[in-house]
Amino acid sequence: MLDLEKSGLIVTESLTKFYTRVRALDSLSLEVFRGEVFGLLGPNGSGKTTTIRLLLGLLRPTAGRAMVAGFDTWWNSLDVRRLVSYLPGELRMYGALTGLGTLKLLCDLRDGAGLDRAVAIAERVMKLNLKRKIRTYSTGMKQKLALAQVFADPVDTLILDEPTSALDPSARSIVLGLVHEARSQGQSVIFSGHVLAEVEQVADRVAIMCKGRLMHIEDMRARRMLRMLLVRFEGGIQPEIPRDLELSVRERNGETLLLEHRGDLSSLLRWLGSVPIEDIAIGTEDLRTLYDQFHGPNVPDVEAPV
Amino acid sequence: MRPFKALIRKQIVESRWTLALSAAALFGLGWLFVYVTSRTEAEIVRMLESDTEGGRRIQFMRLMGVQNTSVSIMMTFWSHPLIMLLISIWAIGRGSAAVAAEIERGTMDLILSRPVARWNYLASQVLVATVGLAILAAALLAGASIAVHFNVLREPPSSWVLIWPALNLAALGLPIYGYTLLASALDHVRWRPTSIGSALTLGGIIAYVVSMIPVLQDMSWKPWLERISIFKAYNPIELVDVGETLGFNLSILAGLGAAFIALAFAAFSVRDLPTNG
Repeated sequence: MLDLEKSGLIVTESLTKFYTRVRALDSLSLEVFRGEVFGLLGPNGSGKTTTIRLLLGLLRPTAGRAMVAGFDTWWNSLDVRRLVSYLPGELRMYGALTGLGTLKLLCDLRDGAGLDRAVAIAERVMKLNLKRKIRTYSTGMKQKLALAQVFADPVDTLILDEPTSALDPSARSIVLGLVHEARSQGQSVIFSGHVLAEVEQVADRVAIMCKGRLMHIEDMRARRMLRMLLVRFEGGIQPEIPRDLELSVRERNGETLLLEHRGDLSSLLRWLGSVPIEDIAIGTEDLRTLYDQFHGPNVPDVEAPV
Repeated sequence: MRPFKALIRKQIVESRWTLALSAAALFGLGWLFVYVTSRTEAEIVRMLESDTEGGRRIQFMRLMGVQNTSVSIMMTFWSHPLIMLLISIWAIGRGSAAVAAEIERGTMDLILSRPVARWNYLASQVLVATVGLAILAAALLAGASIAVHFNVLREPPSSWVLIWPALNLAALGLPIYGYTLLASALDHVRWRPTSIGSALTLGGIIAYVVSMIPVLQDMSWKPWLERISIFKAYNPIELVDVGETLGFNLSILAGLGAAFIALAFAAFSVRDLPTNG
Protein backbone atom coordinates (compact mmCIF):
# COMPACT_ATOMS: atom_id res chain seq x y z
CA MET A 1 0.00 0.00 0.00
CA LEU A 2 1.25 3.44 -0.86
CA ASP A 3 1.89 6.14 1.71
CA LEU A 4 -0.82 8.54 0.64
CA GLU A 5 0.53 11.44 2.66
CA LYS A 6 3.79 11.41 0.73
CA SER A 7 2.65 10.18 -2.66
CA GLY A 8 -0.06 11.42 -4.98
CA LEU A 9 -3.74 10.55 -4.94
CA ILE A 10 -3.22 9.02 -8.37
CA VAL A 11 0.03 7.23 -9.06
CA THR A 12 1.07 5.37 -12.18
CA GLU A 13 4.21 3.28 -12.27
CA SER A 14 5.59 2.27 -15.66
CA LEU A 15 2.02 1.97 -16.88
CA THR A 16 2.00 0.33 -20.29
CA LYS A 17 -0.77 -0.72 -22.62
CA PHE A 18 -0.57 -2.61 -25.88
CA TYR A 19 -3.56 -3.20 -28.14
CA THR A 20 -2.41 -6.50 -29.62
CA ARG A 21 0.85 -5.29 -31.21
CA VAL A 22 0.11 -1.57 -31.12
CA ARG A 23 1.74 0.32 -28.25
CA ALA A 24 -0.84 2.80 -26.95
CA LEU A 25 0.95 3.72 -23.72
CA ASP A 26 4.58 3.22 -22.85
CA SER A 27 5.91 3.21 -19.30
CA LEU A 28 3.90 6.12 -18.00
CA SER A 29 4.94 7.18 -14.51
CA LEU A 30 3.27 10.19 -12.94
CA GLU A 31 1.54 11.42 -9.82
CA VAL A 32 -1.53 13.58 -9.35
CA PHE A 33 -1.89 15.16 -5.94
CA ARG A 34 -4.95 15.95 -3.85
CA GLY A 35 -6.62 19.23 -4.75
CA GLU A 36 -4.65 19.55 -7.95
CA VAL A 37 -5.88 20.21 -11.49
CA PHE A 38 -3.70 18.09 -13.74
CA GLY A 39 -3.79 18.82 -17.46
CA LEU A 40 -3.23 16.08 -20.02
CA LEU A 41 -2.12 17.35 -23.39
CA GLY A 42 -1.19 15.66 -26.60
CA PRO A 43 -2.46 15.12 -30.12
CA ASN A 44 -4.93 12.38 -31.04
CA GLY A 45 -3.41 8.97 -30.40
CA SER A 46 -0.93 10.26 -27.84
CA GLY A 47 -2.32 7.99 -25.11
CA LYS A 48 -4.47 10.40 -23.08
CA THR A 49 -7.72 8.44 -23.36
CA THR A 50 -5.91 5.13 -22.86
CA THR A 51 -4.41 6.53 -19.66
CA ILE A 52 -7.84 7.61 -18.45
CA ARG A 53 -9.43 4.26 -19.27
CA LEU A 54 -6.64 2.47 -17.44
CA LEU A 55 -7.26 4.68 -14.41
CA LEU A 56 -10.94 3.72 -14.45
CA GLY A 57 -10.23 0.01 -14.72
CA LEU A 58 -11.90 -0.21 -18.11
CA LEU A 59 -8.63 -1.45 -19.57
CA ARG A 60 -6.15 -3.89 -18.07
CA PRO A 61 -2.52 -2.72 -18.03
CA THR A 62 -0.14 -4.78 -20.14
CA ALA A 63 2.61 -3.85 -17.68
CA GLY A 64 3.03 -1.54 -14.72
CA ARG A 65 0.21 -0.39 -12.53
CA ALA A 66 -1.94 2.54 -11.58
CA MET A 67 -3.28 3.35 -8.13
CA VAL A 68 -6.01 5.72 -7.03
CA ALA A 69 -6.03 6.45 -3.30
CA GLY A 70 -4.04 3.28 -2.80
CA PHE A 71 -6.42 1.09 -4.80
CA ASP A 72 -5.10 -0.75 -7.82
CA THR A 73 -7.16 0.47 -10.76
CA TRP A 74 -7.57 -3.01 -12.27
CA TRP A 75 -7.84 -5.29 -9.27
CA ASN A 76 -9.83 -2.82 -7.12
CA SER A 77 -11.61 -1.08 -9.95
CA LEU A 78 -14.91 -0.85 -8.09
CA ASP A 79 -13.28 0.95 -5.14
CA VAL A 80 -11.57 3.29 -7.57
CA ARG A 81 -14.81 4.15 -9.35
CA ARG A 82 -16.41 4.98 -6.00
CA LEU A 83 -13.82 7.74 -5.68
CA VAL A 84 -13.78 8.91 -9.28
CA SER A 85 -16.29 10.53 -11.59
CA TYR A 86 -15.66 10.45 -15.31
CA LEU A 87 -16.79 12.47 -18.29
CA PRO A 88 -16.16 10.42 -21.46
CA GLY A 89 -14.65 12.12 -24.46
CA GLU A 90 -17.07 10.42 -26.82
CA LEU A 91 -20.28 10.91 -24.92
CA ARG A 92 -23.24 8.64 -25.70
CA MET A 93 -26.50 8.49 -23.77
CA TYR A 94 -29.79 6.62 -23.84
CA GLY A 95 -32.02 8.59 -26.23
CA ALA A 96 -35.25 7.24 -24.78
CA LEU A 97 -34.55 8.66 -21.32
CA THR A 98 -35.30 12.23 -20.32
CA GLY A 99 -32.56 14.46 -18.95
CA LEU A 100 -33.92 13.87 -15.45
CA GLY A 101 -34.19 10.14 -16.10
CA THR A 102 -30.55 10.07 -17.14
CA LEU A 103 -29.45 11.89 -14.00
CA LYS A 104 -31.57 9.54 -11.87
CA LEU A 105 -30.04 6.50 -13.55
CA LEU A 106 -26.50 7.78 -13.11
CA CYS A 107 -27.14 8.73 -9.47
CA ASP A 108 -28.80 5.40 -8.73
CA LEU A 109 -25.68 3.70 -10.05
CA ARG A 110 -23.86 5.60 -7.28
CA ASP A 111 -26.43 4.57 -4.66
CA GLY A 112 -28.51 7.69 -5.23
CA ALA A 113 -25.82 10.18 -4.22
CA GLY A 114 -25.75 13.68 -5.67
CA LEU A 115 -29.08 13.81 -7.52
CA ASP A 116 -30.29 17.10 -6.04
CA ARG A 117 -27.00 18.82 -6.78
CA ALA A 118 -26.88 17.36 -10.31
CA VAL A 119 -30.40 18.60 -11.03
CA ALA A 120 -29.53 22.02 -9.61
CA ILE A 121 -26.40 22.37 -11.75
CA ALA A 122 -28.19 21.09 -14.86
CA GLU A 123 -31.20 23.38 -14.46
CA ARG A 124 -29.75 26.51 -12.90
CA VAL A 125 -26.18 26.60 -14.14
CA MET A 126 -26.41 24.75 -17.46
CA LYS A 127 -29.98 25.95 -18.17
CA LEU A 128 -31.18 22.56 -19.37
CA ASN A 129 -34.78 21.42 -19.66
CA LEU A 130 -34.63 18.07 -17.92
CA LYS A 131 -38.11 17.02 -19.02
CA ARG A 132 -36.99 16.63 -22.62
CA LYS A 133 -35.83 13.31 -24.04
CA ILE A 134 -32.12 12.95 -24.55
CA ARG A 135 -32.68 12.26 -28.26
CA THR A 136 -33.89 15.86 -28.61
CA TYR A 137 -30.73 17.24 -26.97
CA SER A 138 -27.88 18.64 -29.04
CA THR A 139 -24.36 17.30 -28.54
CA GLY A 140 -23.52 20.31 -26.39
CA MET A 141 -26.61 19.84 -24.23
CA LYS A 142 -25.69 16.20 -23.62
CA GLN A 143 -22.22 17.28 -22.62
CA LYS A 144 -23.68 19.86 -20.23
CA LEU A 145 -25.91 17.20 -18.68
CA ALA A 146 -22.98 14.83 -18.19
CA LEU A 147 -20.89 17.66 -16.73
CA ALA A 148 -23.67 18.49 -14.28
CA GLN A 149 -23.56 14.89 -13.12
CA VAL A 150 -19.77 14.78 -12.84
CA PHE A 151 -19.54 17.98 -10.81
CA ALA A 152 -22.36 16.79 -8.53
CA ASP A 153 -20.78 13.45 -7.70
CA PRO A 154 -19.41 13.29 -4.14
CA VAL A 155 -15.99 11.98 -5.16
CA ASP A 156 -12.31 12.74 -4.64
CA THR A 157 -11.32 12.89 -8.28
CA LEU A 158 -12.90 14.12 -11.49
CA ILE A 159 -11.60 12.86 -14.81
CA LEU A 160 -12.70 15.08 -17.67
CA ASP A 161 -11.88 13.90 -21.17
CA GLU A 162 -12.26 16.91 -23.50
CA PRO A 163 -14.97 18.44 -21.32
CA THR A 164 -15.56 21.54 -23.43
CA SER A 165 -15.31 20.05 -26.92
CA ALA A 166 -18.99 20.62 -27.78
CA LEU A 167 -19.70 23.68 -25.65
CA ASP A 168 -20.39 27.28 -26.55
CA PRO A 169 -18.01 29.95 -25.14
CA SER A 170 -20.18 30.89 -22.17
CA ALA A 171 -20.67 27.25 -21.19
CA ARG A 172 -16.89 26.77 -21.44
CA SER A 173 -16.41 29.55 -18.91
CA ILE A 174 -18.93 27.92 -16.61
CA VAL A 175 -17.10 24.60 -16.84
CA LEU A 176 -13.75 26.21 -16.08
CA GLY A 177 -15.38 27.92 -13.10
CA LEU A 178 -16.72 24.58 -11.89
CA VAL A 179 -13.23 23.09 -12.22
CA HIS A 180 -11.86 25.91 -10.04
CA GLU A 181 -14.66 25.27 -7.54
CA ALA A 182 -13.90 21.55 -7.47
CA ARG A 183 -10.25 22.27 -6.75
CA SER A 184 -11.15 24.70 -3.99
CA GLN A 185 -13.23 21.91 -2.40
CA GLY A 186 -10.18 19.66 -2.40
CA GLN A 187 -11.09 17.52 -5.38
CA SER A 188 -8.41 16.49 -7.83
CA VAL A 189 -9.19 17.01 -11.49
CA ILE A 190 -7.60 15.38 -14.50
CA PHE A 191 -8.37 17.67 -17.39
CA SER A 192 -7.62 16.21 -20.81
CA GLY A 193 -8.11 18.59 -23.68
CA HIS A 194 -6.95 20.13 -26.92
CA VAL A 195 -7.72 23.76 -26.14
CA LEU A 196 -4.41 24.89 -24.71
CA ALA A 197 -5.73 28.19 -23.40
CA GLU A 198 -8.31 26.39 -21.25
CA VAL A 199 -5.80 23.92 -19.86
CA GLU A 200 -3.42 26.79 -19.18
CA GLN A 201 -6.17 28.65 -17.36
CA VAL A 202 -7.12 25.87 -14.94
CA ALA A 203 -4.23 23.45 -14.62
CA ASP A 204 -1.71 23.41 -11.78
CA ARG A 205 0.50 21.01 -13.70
CA VAL A 206 0.41 19.82 -17.25
CA ALA A 207 1.67 16.58 -18.78
CA ILE A 208 2.50 16.59 -22.47
CA MET A 209 2.23 13.21 -24.16
CA CYS A 210 3.32 11.95 -27.54
CA LYS A 211 2.84 8.50 -29.06
CA GLY A 212 1.99 6.92 -25.73
CA ARG A 213 4.94 8.47 -23.92
CA LEU A 214 5.12 11.17 -21.31
CA MET A 215 7.37 13.84 -22.81
CA HIS A 216 7.24 16.57 -20.21
CA ILE A 217 5.50 17.71 -17.03
CA GLU A 218 5.22 21.44 -16.55
CA ASP A 219 4.45 23.13 -13.26
CA MET A 220 2.03 25.82 -14.32
CA ARG A 221 2.33 27.72 -11.03
CA ALA A 222 6.02 28.18 -11.73
CA ARG A 223 5.31 28.88 -15.36
CA ARG A 224 2.98 31.72 -14.45
CA MET A 225 6.02 33.33 -12.76
CA LEU A 226 8.00 32.98 -15.97
CA ARG A 227 8.98 36.16 -17.86
CA MET A 228 10.50 36.21 -21.28
CA LEU A 229 12.87 39.04 -22.18
CA LEU A 230 13.88 39.86 -25.71
CA VAL A 231 16.98 42.06 -25.28
CA ARG A 232 19.58 43.68 -27.48
CA PHE A 233 22.51 45.10 -25.53
CA GLU A 234 24.45 48.11 -26.74
CA GLY A 235 27.31 47.10 -28.98
CA GLY A 236 26.02 43.55 -29.01
CA ILE A 237 28.02 42.83 -25.90
CA GLN A 238 26.27 40.66 -23.31
CA PRO A 239 27.03 41.71 -19.79
CA GLU A 240 27.64 39.09 -17.13
CA ILE A 241 24.37 37.92 -15.57
CA PRO A 242 24.41 37.60 -11.76
CA ARG A 243 23.73 34.01 -10.74
CA ASP A 244 21.10 34.88 -8.09
CA LEU A 245 18.97 36.72 -10.67
CA GLU A 246 17.49 33.41 -11.99
CA LEU A 247 17.92 34.71 -15.52
CA SER A 248 19.08 32.40 -18.26
CA VAL A 249 19.65 32.58 -22.00
CA ARG A 250 17.28 30.42 -23.94
CA GLU A 251 18.08 31.53 -27.47
CA ARG A 252 20.60 33.77 -29.26
CA ASN A 253 19.78 35.29 -32.61
CA GLY A 254 22.61 37.53 -33.76
CA GLU A 255 22.79 40.37 -31.30
CA THR A 256 19.34 39.64 -29.88
CA LEU A 257 18.98 37.42 -26.85
CA LEU A 258 15.89 35.60 -25.61
CA LEU A 259 16.14 35.38 -21.82
CA GLU A 260 14.03 33.41 -19.33
CA HIS A 261 13.40 34.82 -15.87
CA ARG A 262 11.71 33.05 -12.92
CA GLY A 263 13.01 35.10 -9.99
CA ASP A 264 12.23 38.33 -8.17
CA LEU A 265 11.01 41.15 -10.42
CA SER A 266 12.54 44.12 -8.55
CA SER A 267 16.03 42.55 -8.66
CA LEU A 268 15.62 42.03 -12.39
CA LEU A 269 14.52 45.60 -12.99
CA ARG A 270 17.45 46.94 -10.92
CA TRP A 271 19.88 44.87 -12.95
CA LEU A 272 18.33 45.94 -16.25
CA GLY A 273 18.73 49.57 -15.18
CA SER A 274 22.39 49.02 -14.53
CA VAL A 275 23.39 47.52 -17.91
CA PRO A 276 23.52 49.21 -21.35
CA ILE A 277 20.40 48.14 -23.27
CA GLU A 278 19.58 49.17 -26.81
CA ASP A 279 16.11 47.59 -26.96
CA ILE A 280 13.98 45.36 -24.75
CA ALA A 281 10.59 43.62 -24.73
CA ILE A 282 9.21 41.82 -21.69
CA GLY A 283 6.37 39.33 -21.86
CA THR A 284 5.15 35.93 -20.80
CA GLU A 285 5.13 32.65 -22.65
CA ASP A 286 1.93 30.78 -23.34
CA LEU A 287 1.46 27.03 -23.19
CA ARG A 288 1.44 26.85 -26.98
CA THR A 289 5.16 27.62 -27.09
CA LEU A 290 5.90 24.78 -24.71
CA TYR A 291 3.51 22.44 -26.52
CA ASP A 292 5.12 23.26 -29.85
CA GLN A 293 8.48 22.18 -28.50
CA PHE A 294 7.08 18.64 -28.57
CA HIS A 295 4.39 18.79 -31.22
CA GLY A 296 5.23 21.77 -33.39
CA PRO A 297 5.57 21.49 -37.16
CA ASN A 298 9.36 21.53 -36.98
CA VAL A 299 9.72 18.88 -34.32
CA PRO A 300 11.26 15.65 -35.58
CA ASP A 301 9.83 12.28 -34.60
CA VAL A 302 10.51 12.39 -30.87
CA GLU A 303 11.24 9.10 -29.17
CA ALA A 304 12.94 10.00 -25.91
CA PRO A 305 10.71 10.00 -22.81
CA VAL A 306 11.19 12.20 -19.79
CA MET B 1 -28.75 -3.12 -4.32
CA ARG B 2 -29.85 0.24 -5.69
CA PRO B 3 -27.45 0.18 -8.66
CA PHE B 4 -28.61 -3.35 -9.50
CA LYS B 5 -32.26 -2.27 -9.41
CA ALA B 6 -31.45 0.70 -11.61
CA LEU B 7 -29.80 -1.60 -14.14
CA ILE B 8 -32.81 -3.92 -14.10
CA ARG B 9 -35.13 -0.95 -14.68
CA LYS B 10 -32.97 0.16 -17.60
CA GLN B 11 -33.08 -3.29 -19.21
CA ILE B 12 -36.86 -3.47 -18.80
CA VAL B 13 -37.35 -0.04 -20.36
CA GLU B 14 -35.13 -1.00 -23.28
CA SER B 15 -36.68 -4.38 -23.97
CA ARG B 16 -40.30 -3.87 -22.98
CA TRP B 17 -41.69 -3.50 -26.50
CA THR B 18 -39.90 -6.55 -27.89
CA LEU B 19 -41.04 -8.55 -24.89
CA ALA B 20 -44.62 -7.30 -25.03
CA LEU B 21 -45.00 -7.93 -28.77
CA SER B 22 -43.39 -11.37 -28.58
CA ALA B 23 -45.53 -12.31 -25.58
CA ALA B 24 -48.66 -11.12 -27.36
CA ALA B 25 -47.72 -13.15 -30.42
CA LEU B 26 -47.13 -16.27 -28.32
CA PHE B 27 -50.39 -15.73 -26.45
CA GLY B 28 -52.17 -15.54 -29.81
CA LEU B 29 -50.39 -18.63 -31.10
CA GLY B 30 -51.28 -20.54 -27.94
CA TRP B 31 -54.93 -19.66 -28.51
CA LEU B 32 -54.74 -20.42 -32.23
CA PHE B 33 -53.22 -23.85 -31.65
CA VAL B 34 -56.08 -24.81 -29.33
CA TYR B 35 -58.53 -23.73 -31.99
CA VAL B 36 -56.65 -25.73 -34.65
CA THR B 37 -56.53 -28.73 -32.31
CA SER B 38 -60.26 -28.48 -31.85
CA ARG B 39 -60.80 -28.45 -35.62
CA THR B 40 -58.34 -31.30 -36.14
CA GLU B 41 -60.10 -33.44 -33.57
CA ALA B 42 -63.45 -32.79 -35.22
CA GLU B 43 -61.91 -33.85 -38.54
CA ILE B 44 -60.50 -37.05 -37.00
CA VAL B 45 -63.86 -37.94 -35.50
CA ARG B 46 -65.49 -37.34 -38.86
CA MET B 47 -62.96 -39.59 -40.63
CA LEU B 48 -63.30 -42.33 -38.04
CA GLU B 49 -67.04 -42.32 -38.49
CA SER B 50 -66.94 -42.20 -42.32
CA ASP B 51 -64.46 -44.75 -43.71
CA THR B 52 -61.29 -46.67 -43.07
CA GLU B 53 -59.02 -44.00 -44.54
CA GLY B 54 -59.41 -42.05 -41.28
CA GLY B 55 -58.32 -45.05 -39.30
CA ARG B 56 -55.21 -45.32 -41.42
CA ARG B 57 -54.52 -41.65 -40.81
CA ILE B 58 -54.81 -42.09 -37.04
CA GLN B 59 -52.44 -45.03 -37.31
CA PHE B 60 -50.04 -42.88 -39.28
CA MET B 61 -50.19 -40.21 -36.59
CA ARG B 62 -49.40 -42.82 -33.94
CA LEU B 63 -46.48 -44.01 -36.02
CA MET B 64 -45.22 -40.42 -36.03
CA GLY B 65 -45.36 -40.52 -32.23
CA VAL B 66 -48.52 -38.47 -31.84
CA GLN B 67 -51.08 -39.96 -29.50
CA ASN B 68 -54.73 -39.46 -30.21
CA THR B 69 -55.31 -37.09 -27.32
CA SER B 70 -56.19 -33.39 -27.43
CA VAL B 71 -53.04 -32.29 -25.68
CA SER B 72 -50.86 -34.52 -27.85
CA ILE B 73 -52.27 -33.02 -31.02
CA MET B 74 -51.89 -29.53 -29.54
CA MET B 75 -48.23 -30.19 -28.75
CA THR B 76 -47.46 -30.97 -32.39
CA PHE B 77 -48.17 -27.29 -33.00
CA TRP B 78 -46.01 -26.18 -30.07
CA SER B 79 -43.03 -27.38 -32.10
CA HIS B 80 -43.99 -24.94 -34.85
CA PRO B 81 -41.02 -22.90 -36.19
CA LEU B 82 -42.83 -19.67 -35.30
CA ILE B 83 -42.70 -20.57 -31.61
CA MET B 84 -38.98 -21.32 -31.81
CA LEU B 85 -38.41 -18.20 -33.86
CA LEU B 86 -39.99 -15.94 -31.25
CA ILE B 87 -37.99 -17.51 -28.45
CA SER B 88 -34.80 -17.32 -30.52
CA ILE B 89 -35.36 -13.65 -31.43
CA TRP B 90 -35.65 -12.74 -27.78
CA ALA B 91 -32.66 -14.85 -26.72
CA ILE B 92 -30.36 -13.66 -29.52
CA GLY B 93 -31.55 -10.07 -29.21
CA ARG B 94 -30.91 -9.83 -25.47
CA GLY B 95 -27.67 -11.77 -25.68
CA SER B 96 -26.14 -9.55 -28.34
CA ALA B 97 -27.44 -6.39 -26.63
CA ALA B 98 -25.87 -7.26 -23.29
CA VAL B 99 -22.29 -6.20 -23.94
CA ALA B 100 -21.40 -5.74 -27.61
CA ALA B 101 -24.30 -3.41 -28.40
CA GLU B 102 -23.59 -1.26 -25.34
CA ILE B 103 -19.96 -0.90 -26.36
CA GLU B 104 -20.90 -0.23 -29.97
CA ARG B 105 -23.24 2.61 -29.11
CA GLY B 106 -20.85 3.95 -26.49
CA THR B 107 -23.15 3.70 -23.47
CA MET B 108 -21.05 1.07 -21.68
CA ASP B 109 -18.73 3.86 -20.50
CA LEU B 110 -21.67 5.68 -18.96
CA ILE B 111 -22.57 2.63 -16.85
CA LEU B 112 -19.21 1.11 -16.01
CA SER B 113 -17.48 4.37 -15.16
CA ARG B 114 -19.89 4.45 -12.21
CA PRO B 115 -19.26 2.20 -9.20
CA VAL B 116 -20.96 -0.81 -10.77
CA ALA B 117 -19.24 -4.20 -10.70
CA ARG B 118 -19.01 -5.91 -14.05
CA TRP B 119 -20.51 -8.98 -12.39
CA ASN B 120 -23.56 -6.97 -11.31
CA TYR B 121 -23.96 -5.45 -14.74
CA LEU B 122 -23.99 -8.82 -16.48
CA ALA B 123 -26.14 -10.41 -13.77
CA SER B 124 -28.82 -7.76 -14.39
CA GLN B 125 -28.73 -8.59 -18.10
CA VAL B 126 -29.01 -12.33 -17.47
CA LEU B 127 -31.84 -11.87 -14.98
CA VAL B 128 -33.98 -9.78 -17.34
CA ALA B 129 -33.31 -12.12 -20.27
CA THR B 130 -34.19 -15.30 -18.37
CA VAL B 131 -37.27 -13.79 -16.76
CA GLY B 132 -38.20 -12.65 -20.28
CA LEU B 133 -37.94 -16.25 -21.51
CA ALA B 134 -40.20 -17.37 -18.67
CA ILE B 135 -42.71 -14.62 -19.54
CA LEU B 136 -42.75 -15.67 -23.20
CA ALA B 137 -43.36 -19.31 -22.31
CA ALA B 138 -46.01 -18.23 -19.80
CA ALA B 139 -47.72 -16.19 -22.52
CA LEU B 140 -48.00 -19.30 -24.72
CA LEU B 141 -49.28 -21.27 -21.74
CA ALA B 142 -51.80 -18.54 -20.86
CA GLY B 143 -53.07 -18.35 -24.44
CA ALA B 144 -53.62 -22.10 -24.53
CA SER B 145 -55.08 -22.33 -21.01
CA ILE B 146 -57.65 -19.63 -21.66
CA ALA B 147 -58.48 -20.85 -25.17
CA VAL B 148 -59.32 -24.30 -23.80
CA HIS B 149 -62.42 -22.74 -22.21
CA PHE B 150 -63.59 -21.24 -25.50
CA ASN B 151 -62.98 -24.22 -27.81
CA VAL B 152 -64.34 -27.74 -27.82
CA LEU B 153 -61.72 -30.40 -27.09
CA ARG B 154 -62.36 -34.06 -26.42
CA GLU B 155 -60.03 -34.07 -23.44
CA PRO B 156 -59.27 -30.48 -22.43
CA PRO B 157 -55.85 -30.42 -20.79
CA SER B 158 -55.35 -28.70 -17.47
CA SER B 159 -52.91 -25.83 -17.19
CA TRP B 160 -50.79 -28.09 -15.00
CA VAL B 161 -50.22 -30.46 -17.93
CA LEU B 162 -49.19 -27.57 -20.16
CA ILE B 163 -46.70 -26.11 -17.67
CA TRP B 164 -44.04 -28.73 -18.48
CA PRO B 165 -43.89 -28.12 -22.24
CA ALA B 166 -43.89 -24.39 -21.49
CA LEU B 167 -40.98 -24.89 -19.10
CA ASN B 168 -39.20 -26.92 -21.77
CA LEU B 169 -39.72 -24.05 -24.24
CA ALA B 170 -38.31 -21.47 -21.80
CA ALA B 171 -35.34 -23.73 -21.15
CA LEU B 172 -34.73 -24.01 -24.91
CA GLY B 173 -34.02 -20.28 -24.94
CA LEU B 174 -31.27 -20.58 -22.31
CA PRO B 175 -28.49 -22.11 -24.44
CA ILE B 176 -29.43 -19.83 -27.34
CA TYR B 177 -29.14 -16.83 -25.03
CA GLY B 178 -26.00 -18.31 -23.47
CA TYR B 179 -23.92 -18.73 -26.61
CA THR B 180 -25.04 -15.37 -27.98
CA LEU B 181 -24.16 -13.73 -24.65
CA LEU B 182 -20.72 -15.34 -24.72
CA ALA B 183 -20.09 -14.02 -28.22
CA SER B 184 -21.36 -10.62 -27.10
CA ALA B 185 -19.15 -10.60 -23.99
CA LEU B 186 -16.11 -10.96 -26.23
CA ASP B 187 -17.07 -8.46 -28.91
CA HIS B 188 -17.55 -4.73 -29.44
CA VAL B 189 -20.01 -4.69 -32.35
CA ARG B 190 -23.52 -6.12 -32.25
CA TRP B 191 -23.76 -7.65 -35.71
CA ARG B 192 -21.17 -10.34 -35.00
CA PRO B 193 -22.75 -11.94 -31.89
CA THR B 194 -26.14 -11.64 -33.59
CA SER B 195 -24.78 -13.50 -36.62
CA ILE B 196 -23.04 -16.11 -34.48
CA GLY B 197 -26.18 -16.67 -32.39
CA SER B 198 -28.38 -16.89 -35.49
CA ALA B 199 -25.99 -19.23 -37.31
CA LEU B 200 -25.70 -21.60 -34.35
CA THR B 201 -29.47 -21.60 -33.83
CA LEU B 202 -30.18 -22.16 -37.51
CA GLY B 203 -27.51 -24.86 -37.62
CA GLY B 204 -29.15 -26.58 -34.66
CA ILE B 205 -32.56 -26.51 -36.34
CA ILE B 206 -31.15 -27.83 -39.60
CA ALA B 207 -29.27 -30.62 -37.81
CA TYR B 208 -32.42 -31.62 -35.97
CA VAL B 209 -34.61 -31.53 -39.08
CA VAL B 210 -32.09 -33.57 -41.10
CA SER B 211 -31.82 -36.14 -38.31
CA MET B 212 -35.62 -36.57 -38.48
CA ILE B 213 -35.76 -37.40 -42.19
CA PRO B 214 -36.91 -41.06 -42.36
CA VAL B 215 -34.65 -42.13 -45.24
CA LEU B 216 -31.56 -40.93 -43.35
CA GLN B 217 -32.30 -42.93 -40.19
CA ASP B 218 -29.71 -45.62 -41.02
CA MET B 219 -26.85 -43.19 -41.59
CA SER B 220 -23.94 -43.57 -39.17
CA TRP B 221 -23.73 -39.80 -38.56
CA LYS B 222 -27.43 -39.42 -37.72
CA PRO B 223 -26.97 -39.84 -33.92
CA TRP B 224 -24.29 -37.13 -34.01
CA LEU B 225 -26.63 -34.75 -35.76
CA GLU B 226 -29.18 -35.33 -33.01
CA ARG B 227 -26.64 -34.84 -30.26
CA ILE B 228 -25.29 -31.54 -31.53
CA SER B 229 -28.75 -29.98 -31.80
CA ILE B 230 -30.26 -28.41 -28.70
CA PHE B 231 -33.65 -28.74 -30.39
CA LYS B 232 -33.54 -32.47 -29.72
CA ALA B 233 -34.03 -31.51 -26.06
CA TYR B 234 -37.26 -29.66 -26.84
CA ASN B 235 -39.93 -32.31 -27.21
CA PRO B 236 -43.35 -31.17 -25.97
CA ILE B 237 -45.16 -34.13 -27.54
CA GLU B 238 -43.10 -36.67 -25.64
CA LEU B 239 -43.49 -34.61 -22.46
CA VAL B 240 -47.27 -34.82 -22.41
CA ASP B 241 -47.46 -38.39 -23.69
CA VAL B 242 -44.73 -40.04 -21.62
CA GLY B 243 -43.06 -37.31 -19.58
CA GLU B 244 -39.89 -39.29 -18.88
CA THR B 245 -37.49 -36.95 -20.62
CA LEU B 246 -38.50 -33.73 -18.86
CA GLY B 247 -35.77 -33.84 -16.23
CA PHE B 248 -33.10 -34.88 -18.71
CA ASN B 249 -34.06 -32.28 -21.32
CA LEU B 250 -34.31 -29.49 -18.78
CA SER B 251 -30.94 -30.48 -17.32
CA ILE B 252 -29.29 -30.48 -20.73
CA LEU B 253 -30.76 -27.12 -21.76
CA ALA B 254 -30.28 -25.40 -18.40
CA GLY B 255 -26.81 -26.90 -18.02
CA LEU B 256 -25.70 -25.73 -21.45
CA GLY B 257 -27.23 -22.31 -20.84
CA ALA B 258 -25.55 -22.00 -17.43
CA ALA B 259 -22.20 -23.10 -18.86
CA PHE B 260 -22.29 -20.53 -21.66
CA ILE B 261 -23.44 -17.81 -19.25
CA ALA B 262 -20.64 -18.70 -16.81
CA LEU B 263 -18.12 -18.47 -19.65
CA ALA B 264 -19.59 -15.09 -20.61
CA PHE B 265 -19.10 -13.87 -17.02
CA ALA B 266 -15.51 -15.07 -17.06
CA ALA B 267 -14.80 -13.43 -20.42
CA PHE B 268 -16.47 -10.16 -19.50
CA SER B 269 -14.72 -9.85 -16.15
CA VAL B 270 -11.21 -9.85 -17.65
CA ARG B 271 -11.69 -8.18 -21.01
CA ASP B 272 -10.76 -4.65 -22.01
CA LEU B 273 -13.64 -2.29 -22.59
CA PRO B 274 -12.68 -0.17 -25.56
CA THR B 275 -14.30 3.04 -26.70
CA ASN B 276 -17.10 2.71 -29.20
CA GLY B 277 -16.32 2.35 -32.89
